[in-house]
Amino acid sequence: MNTRKYLNVYKNFLHTSLASELEYKTNILIDLLTAILSLIGSIFLLSIFFQSNSSIGGWEFKQALIIQGIYTILNGITNTWFNPNLTEIVKHIREGTLDFVLLKPIDSQFFISLKKITPSGFLEIMLGVCLLIYCIKINQIDLNLGFVILSLITIICSIFILYSLWFFISTTTIWFVKTWNATEVLRSFLYIGRFPLNSFSFSLRIFFSVFIPIAFITTIPSEVFLGISQLWKILLEVLVAIVFLFTSRKFWLFALKFYTSASS
Amino acid sequence: MIKNIIDVRNLSKSFDISYKEPGIKGTINHFFKRQTKSLKVIKDISFEIKEGEIVGFLGANGAGKTTILKMLCGLIYPSEGSILVSGYLPYKRKENFLKNITLIMGQKQQLIWDLPPIESFYLNASIYDLDKYEAKKRIKKLSEMLEIDDELFIPVRKLSLGQRMKSELLAALIHEPTILFLDEPTLGLDINAQRNLRKFLKKYNKETNATICLTSHYMKDITSLCKRVICVHNGTISYDGELDLLLKKLSPVKEILIVCQSEDDANKIEKSSYTIKNKTKNEITIIVKNNNIISSLRTILNNFDIEDLYIIEPPIDEIIGKILINKDYDI
Amino acid sequence: MISNLINRKILTLLKVQYSNMLEYRVEIALWAISGIIPFFMLNIWTNNNLNESINISDIELSRYFLCAFFVRQFSVVWVVFSFEEDSLLGKVSPYLIQPLNPFFRYFAQHLAEQITRFPFAIIIAFFFFIFNPESLWIPNLGILLLSIISTFFSFLIQFLIQSIVACLCFWTEKASSIERLLFIPTLFLSGLLAPVVSFPEYIKSWIYLTPFPYMIDFPANLLSGNSTNVSGGISMQILWIVLLFPLFKKIWSEGTKKYTAMGS
Repeated sequence: MNTRKYLNVYKNFLHTSLASELEYKTNILIDLLTAILSLIGSIFLLSIFFQSNSSIGGWEFKQALIIQGIYTILNGITNTWFNPNLTEIVKHIREGTLDFVLLKPIDSQFFISLKKITPSGFLEIMLGVCLLIYCIKINQIDLNLGFVILSLITIICSIFILYSLWFFISTTTIWFVKTWNATEVLRSFLYIGRFPLNSFSFSLRIFFSVFIPIAFITTIPSEVFLGISQLWKILLEVLVAIVFLFTSRKFWLFALKFYTSASS
Repeated sequence: MIKNIIDVRNLSKSFDISYKEPGIKGTINHFFKRQTKSLKVIKDISFEIKEGEIVGFLGANGAGKTTILKMLCGLIYPSEGSILVSGYLPYKRKENFLKNITLIMGQKQQLIWDLPPIESFYLNASIYDLDKYEAKKRIKKLSEMLEIDDELFIPVRKLSLGQRMKSELLAALIHEPTILFLDEPTLGLDINAQRNLRKFLKKYNKETNATICLTSHYMKDITSLCKRVICVHNGTISYDGELDLLLKKLSPVKEILIVCQSEDDANKIEKSSYTIKNKTKNEITIIVKNNNIISSLRTILNNFDIEDLYIIEPPIDEIIGKILINKDYDI
Repeated sequence: MISNLINRKILTLLKVQYSNMLEYRVEIALWAISGIIPFFMLNIWTNNNLNESINISDIELSRYFLCAFFVRQFSVVWVVFSFEEDSLLGKVSPYLIQPLNPFFRYFAQHLAEQITRFPFAIIIAFFFFIFNPESLWIPNLGILLLSIISTFFSFLIQFLIQSIVACLCFWTEKASSIERLLFIPTLFLSGLLAPVVSFPEYIKSWIYLTPFPYMIDFPANLLSGNSTNVSGGISMQILWIVLLFPLFKKIWSEGTKKYTAMGS
């Protein structure tokens, strides 16, 4: 694996993708507006839940806001990197240009996952970061080195888990070309990530930790932020991230095998 | 001795196709349980290609040419048999193998739509591990060969089809592959663009000694570029050899279009022993073997009042189509 | 005679689209599953006894969300994505030559998919009742018929709104971003995530002037037997349809004028 080559190629991906996207400036504005409205709507919904309870599942309103912040950041990352590349792979399958990707002397998963970028997602990430900063203030969280390192680790693991889920869906386009259905399923389930894991009943909690680790992705980093997390949970998240990454890669290689035996 | 750069032995490929019975009952059954059957599309073929050859794979739609080409690239996994390209097993898609080949598919683009081609070139250059200086050199050389210049700096979506094709070629050749695979490269191009492409490929082959394998159902591609042709029919090779030899093997005939002065005369010619191709009112086209042309012409001119006469070489497609494959060719 | 002609066209379209849909059985199943958000919301509501504050019993709330699920299944619209994809693929031009508004085609597609989805929705409802046996009830025939009509009206409203947005494809390339923007108020205000009755007063004062509550909240309340103003609701739905349909026709004709003037 020639890291210098891959870094160089990624630099080119970034350059070409940004140049293409910046041709559509109004889009960036619309996407930003969508992100803001979505956040407002979720906070509104949250306030309805909290209107007569001061705590849900052990979380207060100002603590639940942290989850909203982390969700927004993760959503921004999804919109920046995962969504545009999913659209690309659907296009490749439909137009028959996946062959070009497979014939390049570069890892196909790298190419498929990172080729495009949607700059409006950056604004959403910023939105999430701003919300987090606000939350740090109102929750009076103490920023020390240990805290920063742990939160970074958990957020990075969340990104990996999210990436694996999206990449899994992207891979399935090799069989089902119309994937917006699958992305809708994932999007619906991901929406759950806006709420603390403990607000759900026990069985759903298990479901959202083991099978579709959505709440996992947002709740654990939030707990780290609030300093109420436990080491085993953090380790568990790291383990889950590694397993998911590994499985998604294996699945991709399997799908390629299928593609090369079955397509004509 | 020039070695074989492509070596194919007893190659076969089968696909599993799901099929559906027509009608509502079939639709419902199809919903619950798909039935598949195995279709053997390539049946036990073997051939060798030497370095520097330009080989055309000729065949009707669905004959299997694209499947063969994709197996040579490594995009399709063979069911049986062996393929060696440059000493590599294509389906393993090793990096050094991929750096030596390129695939160009008609009407399929790899250039980035919203940006000038030059951006795609540099992207490709980085993927193939070329440094910027080397890339610049190759872009210059190829753009001179392809006769494009300023177009490289205009977004692809604004280029004409011919300019786009040239840019696609450049993008595909920037890493100087030794083997070129072209799948229906002239599909959708106008006459000029087709001619330019053939001219370029000939020049490229001469200057770099690259091996070229192309599939086409346009005869002109094959006749203008390839000395050697492999005819694919229903998954098997029905002919593998020189194009000239192939044409000589087939009965050399010519068509004579006779414009008679009266419809009567035309009718009389029709009733005589010549092979008729078609007849309208007072024009009749007959098919005559090359060695009989002089005597036939003498007979016709002596016995009938002829207004005009044309001797036509029948299109090669018709010859090959009629005799070898019994299917129709596109011209 | 004209209505006969249209009937035949619609019937044929429906038959073809139904065949189409059966090809994509996995996608349809996924689509049905993606409508599952209401059940998760229900879980949050009941698990934390949030409904006590708004005087709705557990059972009423369960029924509401189940009905919301059904209404959503049979009124969800994705025409803007189909239209945008078709216009990118250049399929719109041949449609314009045919003596049938292409949106009829999409309409038939939607209806066909709803029919295909029906068995999956029933299966999901079945599982719902297994987990919540006390919520089991059979609505009386009159209510059922009225709800079906109301759901169909909700479908029409959403279809018209999205079609109007889809027509924006004639002016801009990314009409789907606008749809994603519009989806936010639909998601939050339509009653999919929380019944309108739980909203604070300042929202309830103007929300009934918008079409949103009539998309999910009204039909779901109707079907689940919660008290609701039947005649008022149905008339508002009809009003919105009557307002939106000519608007759609106008934008469509403007759009095709522009399209044919510019060429594809």
